[in-house]
Amino acid sequence: MTIHNLPPAFIIIGGALLLILLPRKARPYAYLLFPVLAFALLLSLEQGATLTVPFLNYELVLCRVDRLSMAFAYVFVIMCFLGGVYGFHVKDLLQQVASLLYVGSSLGVVFAGDLVTLIVYWELMAVSSVCLVWARRTPEARKAGYRYILVHVFGGSVLMAGILLHMQQTGSIAFTHFGASIASYLIMVSFCLNAAVPPLNGWLPDAYPEGTVTGSVFLSAFTTKVAVYALARGFAGFEILMWAGAIMAVYGVVFAFLSNDGRRLLAYHIISQVGYMVCGVGIGTAVAINGATAHAFAHILYKGLLFMGIGTVLYATGTAKLDHLGGLVGRMKWALVFFMVGAFSISGVPLFSGFVSKSMVIFAAEEGHLAAVVLLLNLASVGTFLSIGLKLPYFTWFSKETDIKPQPVPLNMYIGMALTSALCIAIGVYPSLLYNILPNVPVHYQPYSATHLLETMQLLIFTFLGFWLVLDKIHMHATITLDTDWFYRRPSRFAYYAFSVSICNLFGHIERLALLAVKVTVEASTNPPGYLVQASRELRGIFTGSEDLRREPDTFNPDRYRISLGLMAFVVLLSLVILMFWYFFV
Amino acid sequence: MMRKWLLITVPVAVLFIILDLFLAEHHVHFLWSGIPGFFSLFGVIGCLLLIGLAMALGAYWLQREEDYYERDDDDS
Repeated sequence: MTIHNLPPAFIIIGGALLLILLPRKARPYAYLLFPVLAFALLLSLEQGATLTVPFLNYELVLCRVDRLSMAFAYVFVIMCFLGGVYGFHVKDLLQQVASLLYVGSSLGVVFAGDLVTLIVYWELMAVSSVCLVWARRTPEARKAGYRYILVHVFGGSVLMAGILLHMQQTGSIAFTHFGASIASYLIMVSFCLNAAVPPLNGWLPDAYPEGTVTGSVFLSAFTTKVAVYALARGFAGFEILMWAGAIMAVYGVVFAFLSNDGRRLLAYHIISQVGYMVCGVGIGTAVAINGATAHAFAHILYKGLLFMGIGTVLYATGTAKLDHLGGLVGRMKWALVFFMVGAFSISGVPLFSGFVSKSMVIFAAEEGHLAAVVLLLNLASVGTFLSIGLKLPYFTWFSKETDIKPQPVPLNMYIGMALTSALCIAIGVYPSLLYNILPNVPVHYQPYSATHLLETMQLLIFTFLGFWLVLDKIHMHATITLDTDWFYRRPSRFAYYAFSVSICNLFGHIERLALLAVKVTVEASTNPPGYLVQASRELRGIFTGSEDLRREPDTFNPDRYRISLGLMAFVVLLSLVILMFWYFFV
Repeated sequence: MMRKWLLITVPVAVLFIILDLFLAEHHVHFLWSGIPGFFSLFGVIGCLLLIGLAMALGAYWLQREEDYYERDDDDS
């Protein structure tokens, strides 16, 4: 193990463990140090280098360096740093450690060269990320976290089943491009679950809006993009992914438009944007894989920025619900400015990062003569600008006047947003910064062509006009939107009754019966004749219908019916006499 | 205030459609490639379609009160 093949995950995960030992004041500074160290390590890694260790009969590849891994690793480390700046004020050790572990395990996955290493980091990602939801410490977050972890445990089990089957069929644990088999489809399903491909998407808009202000910034960046990486590595060119991606791009924007919670709206747009990437992976050509990677890179930055922007509003006002918000433009101007940089980036406005990455996927679809895919992806672009570029900022910073008094926001949150904004604009203005690290070089794609500029501007301007036309009809209400999580949230109530409440009730009945039996036995055995008399009275009462007989008489005295001592002595003596007679004379 | 926005956007939109007539070159030909201003039409129709679809889905099927799931919980 040298500096050329040291897994970057070791630095970040080691950092997370070291953080526990550090004093409270030093932790935020140390936190920023680890991504810087990891970035330096990334620069020193050699293409093609591997680090293998023997494990049972297999070779584990803890580190495999190639251009695809590197592109994802760069942005993960950058996002870790930016998230650290944004969350500099956070004193909560749980969040700090969990977010570093989360980044570290994500890095572990993108450098994992075999499926065993992959699944270990995969599960670590799920466990560490759920802590970022639970760290909010509200009942809603606790419940959403439980659902999140259960879904991911299910996904992990499917992955495990796929890996075991794959090992049995091929005898190999290498993580490379898969062929078509049941084993690889199981693995694909678990990857798709993490990429939130509908109908496996319910967990994402359920849990991400419940995370902490800084935690959701991390959540938005890693799980889904690691899944995109895994799909690009294992399933490039699977046509089903192309259609799934195109459909999910539109699915996300439709649901996003209905969302009242600002962070849930953004969460649905993760689904939509990941749709572009999954679609690119499904197309599978060199330019499409480049496009998917570039879009993942740009997306992590601008989606982080959007979550930072709305997180700032949540931090300052205590809510991210659009029906409560409004009129913040004078009070939270800078949050709006940075949010709009993210919004323009995700909408693909020229000079912002989304413009140079999203169009690459659409370009790949055009090259493949996939008219339906091109139209679906463009429709998703319309919806993206509609919800994030127009609706969300309109209802948060404009629309009605409210008397919300935002509390002051730590400066580091603004610095984090400013740095992220700068990167989004830098990529938009100098696309070669991004294009140079893509997996398939050289990149023969020029986003700033007259045609592409014209098409994009027309699309955006007329989306604005469409929104303007119906603005009066759009009102935000305190509602939630049912999604595929309904299938495990709603029936869970019946499952709860079937497997918990009903069984408890059954045990309760049996217990009552047992106690009754004990009571009857005790009463009957302490005073058998008295009990028999009373029972016969009650029976007679039941048959004759006479209340008097059934009721215990006032003069009832149990001792009246109790066998007297004299009688007992008499019976004993009599028995003795009979016994003697029998002994002597018979 | 919103009218002022419209005064800016409409001329810009018209300008882009006119430019589209002269400048656009299509490396791959689709059914819509020859139509100038196709993406303007697509933008406005797509926008209205998405809003309509979303609001109809929400109103008739998917939107519920916020306590829809919590209603039956014992602990909240």
